[in-house]
Amino acid sequence: MKAQVCKAWGPPESLVYEDIAAPPLGSDEVRLAVAAAGLNFPDTLMIAGKYQVKPAFPFAPGSEVAGRVTEVGARCTRLKLGDRVMSTTSMSGGGGFAEQAVVREAMCFRIPDSMSWNEAAGFPVTYGTTYHALVQRGRLKADEVLLVHGAAGGVGLNAVELGKVMGATVIGTVGSDAKIDIVKKYGADHVINYSTESIKDRVKALTGDKGADVIYDAVGGDAFDQSLRCIAWEGRLLVIGFASGRIPQAPANLVLLKGCEIVGVHWGPFATRESETHRANMEQMFRWYEQGKLHPHVSMTFPLTEVPQAMAALLGRQSTGKIVIDINQKL
Amino acid sequence: MKAQMCKAWGPPESLVYEDVPSPMPGPGQVKIAVKAAGMNFPDTLLIEGKYQIKPPFPFAPGAEAAGTVIAVGPGVTRFRIGDKIMGTSATGSGGYAEEMIAGENSAQPIPDGMTWEQAAGFAAVYGTSYHALVQRAHLAAGETLLVLGAAGGVGLAAVELGKAMGATVIGAVGADEKFAVVLEHGADHVINYTTGSLKDQVKALTADKGADVIYDAVGGDMFDQSMRCIAWEGRLLVVGFASGRIPSLPANLALLKGCQIVGVFYGAFAAREPETATANFAAMARLFAAGKLRPHVSKTFPLKDAPHAMRELLTRKYPGKLVLTMDAA
Repeated sequence: MKAQVCKAWGPPESLVYEDIAAPPLGSDEVRLAVAAAGLNFPDTLMIAGKYQVKPAFPFAPGSEVAGRVTEVGARCTRLKLGDRVMSTTSMSGGGGFAEQAVVREAMCFRIPDSMSWNEAAGFPVTYGTTYHALVQRGRLKADEVLLVHGAAGGVGLNAVELGKVMGATVIGTVGSDAKIDIVKKYGADHVINYSTESIKDRVKALTGDKGADVIYDAVGGDAFDQSLRCIAWEGRLLVIGFASGRIPQAPANLVLLKGCEIVGVHWGPFATRESETHRANMEQMFRWYEQGKLHPHVSMTFPLTEVPQAMAALLGRQSTGKIVIDINQKL
Repeated sequence: MKAQMCKAWGPPESLVYEDVPSPMPGPGQVKIAVKAAGMNFPDTLLIEGKYQIKPPFPFAPGAEAAGTVIAVGPGVTRFRIGDKIMGTSATGSGGYAEEMIAGENSAQPIPDGMTWEQAAGFAAVYGTSYHALVQRAHLAAGETLLVLGAAGGVGLAAVELGKAMGATVIGAVGADEKFAVVLEHGADHVINYTTGSLKDQVKALTADKGADVIYDAVGGDMFDQSMRCIAWEGRLLVVGFASGRIPSLPANLALLKGCQIVGVFYGAFAAREPETATANFAAMARLFAAGKLRPHVSKTFPLKDAPHAMRELLTRKYPGKLVLTMDAA
């Protein structure tokens, strides 16, 4: 099968597009013919050898896919041949930037009929992470104020959308005026451009000095530091990632005085350890999708031959929402 | 009335024991004739000007006391003259004095059978520990609770409350002499973090899983080590920094562990959510009546000896509480 293959740690250009053997199937796994694969920031870390998971060479990167089930492992019970599904990949069975992927049945879900391959391909990681973050980790309640950093990015846009569906007042932060419209379109009540305004001052002004109850932070760095200055009493600061490149430090006395929480969100282990809750999360979001409440935003697609270019677009922050690798729409 | 007055930031010896005018309760406050006053580590920070609250001079320190209500301010509904109460002090009128002002909302009736000395040291440490474990950590029966500084005031309260809530409790102390008192108050295990790594000992006791809830009033290195032995979805309670060093949390560690770092600010909680705070004390009164809480008073000192008593407190050799009493003053 054709795949984008990582043979040594390096930048996107070091990926090699070539034929490799299809991965073997385990008893609790299913094989998919991949229709499309979602691109995520950690994919770029993984091929650079900077991610906590370091697969053995050679491997195809790509952490999520949509496709059709073509083979079912002996111990699988839920899925059958021909099912349209989305899944995260377990890197042991190879990633999604390939014509076939082998995934664990427990991580694999039938998708709503009305959802396109491209929408489905970019759904599991970002929506899965964000739902888990807001519900299980952030305990977001209707009428609370949710502040979303990097609101125009993949996970950020999901957080805006899901926060609104859950009844919160949503404030989004973005780095340029060009991104304000898309964040408003996804339902944000307010948008702050942090390159021209102080996040802390604006959040305080918008909340009557109370601060934000839940803060969704996939950015880190300065956004995190400012968050600790505008978090509400008993607020929850969700640590999703560090797209800014700087891992921040939280002074423990500030956490004490604010009576707040710094909450780590590590979705991968959650989905594996608590697969029943993970499945319930996904099924709730599928219902919302069918009710027209969720609109996965795919802003750019690239063919399988152009994964390096897709990664460059992601790293250049040219995109809003998701970038998807379009592999075989005809499935 | 007699009081130990702080007139300038300084060490315990700079307190002045003298006659001062009787304080007056304001709206929502009560005045108590103090029978006994609990001593707390932050008292020593307060008089040195190193605490987050800095009352105007002169003031009597002392965060908590027990006594009899002798006057009530306007609007007070929960207490009458003659009631026996314990409570935390209003800013500037502390318990190192024959009379103290307490906010009505921070005061609680003394459970039957509790001595004045026990009651004097009950409100702050048990109030803090209960709030931390219940509202902040959501400690569940069957979980593992690690208490740092387990022989100290808040530490022993956390050990007792953790056991009463059905947790497996590991107490961590800095000296072998403190093992006995921590075990006596119900801990399942006690470890000495000066003779072995906290991380290794906790991992060994939890089959590598780590502690679900960590109660940290110590800070410094203990906080750093706690992040290495916290369970998946664990909660690290930031209660204080008795070690003197305020630690910083690398956010990526919180992410990788899927854990949370939870600030516990009891004073602000009690002021903002007085009904929950009062319900907490009602629950603790039931635990006390059932014999599950046994507030530990190591030693009492007369009020006039407060500077010496503070020095003794700073040695950290006494488990549980040190208390000032008025009768011998």
